[in-house]
Amino acid sequence: MEVIVWSAWLAGLAIGLFVIFHFWLMGKPAGCSTGYGNVCGLMCQRVSYFREGEYRQLNNAKLWFLLGIPLGGLISALSSPEPWHFNFSMGMYDEILPQTLAGKAIWLVFGGALLGFGARLAGACTTGHALVGGAMLNPPSLLAGMIFFLSAFFTTHLLFGT
Amino acid sequence: MYEETLFLRCRNMLVSFFFVYRTQIFGLLTGVLFGFLMSRAGATTYDYHAKMFLFEDFQLMIVIATAVVIAMIGVWLLKKTHIHAVATGEEVDFVKKPYQKGLIIGAALFGVGWGMTASCPGTIPAMIGEGKVAGFFALAGILIGTMAYGILQSHLHLARQQAEQQSTPSKDTD
Repeated sequence: MEVIVWSAWLAGLAIGLFVIFHFWLMGKPAGCSTGYGNVCGLMCQRVSYFREGEYRQLNNAKLWFLLGIPLGGLISALSSPEPWHFNFSMGMYDEILPQTLAGKAIWLVFGGALLGFGARLAGACTTGHALVGGAMLNPPSLLAGMIFFLSAFFTTHLLFGT
Repeated sequence: MYEETLFLRCRNMLVSFFFVYRTQIFGLLTGVLFGFLMSRAGATTYDYHAKMFLFEDFQLMIVIATAVVIAMIGVWLLKKTHIHAVATGEEVDFVKKPYQKGLIIGAALFGVGWGMTASCPGTIPAMIGEGKVAGFFALAGILIGTMAYGILQSHLHLARQQAEQQSTPSKDTD
């Protein structure tokens, strides 16, 4: 599904302004991966980790932030010239991923599990560490952002065999 | 005796609803904006991720570099003006993520996941909104991974508590 993509400078400017806007509106740094913990806490109430600390209050802004993102993607797709439809194409990844449907699904679930586990172990995801942490010049965030990028760089090169 | 008209009652209800759920409403609205921007920036298109790491197209790299520089200037300005946040009414809290044990290993695992799925936790919901079926599987994976971390942490916490309970009475007998 093709969506309209702005020029990189304009999109970067807009996302930078979004980070500032989020600070001013919510008074807290923006973050994505923490919200998945809220969903886990709501799904399984017996895990004590999702009842303490930052997860004491589960129905919070982080959860609703996460729920809002698909709506934003939907608006973006609906305002693109191509009509909205489900599709399973992954562009360049179609050639290198497992060719069967089940193989692709297992591959994606495994990759997603690494994302979820790694994000919690590192404390934040690309948004929290690289984007917002980088904007605040927070040393651990800069370190994490660099490792995110290097690790993904090597993985992609291994996958595409270059 | 003061009587509320229907219009006033509805207005008051709306105002109190908005006030009580203001953090949720703000969260939802910022989420919609974030998803839209991620989609327009090309972060939900798989090819841009692959091309960025293969150094064929610098779209996403320029996006994140520009965004960080703009946000850096904004954060500096916000700190200077001691601005108050809309949702809380308190001064903006620039809380920084601390260094935590396992950050390096976690970041390395995250990078492998990023390379494998060409998406990150912020873009996967936006991909689902765009109708990309691959996003559903990646979302299931993220929830499994987060759940695994939570269960692991809960067990470690419990084990630590039990170890402390066992060690304290033995000290008394010594």
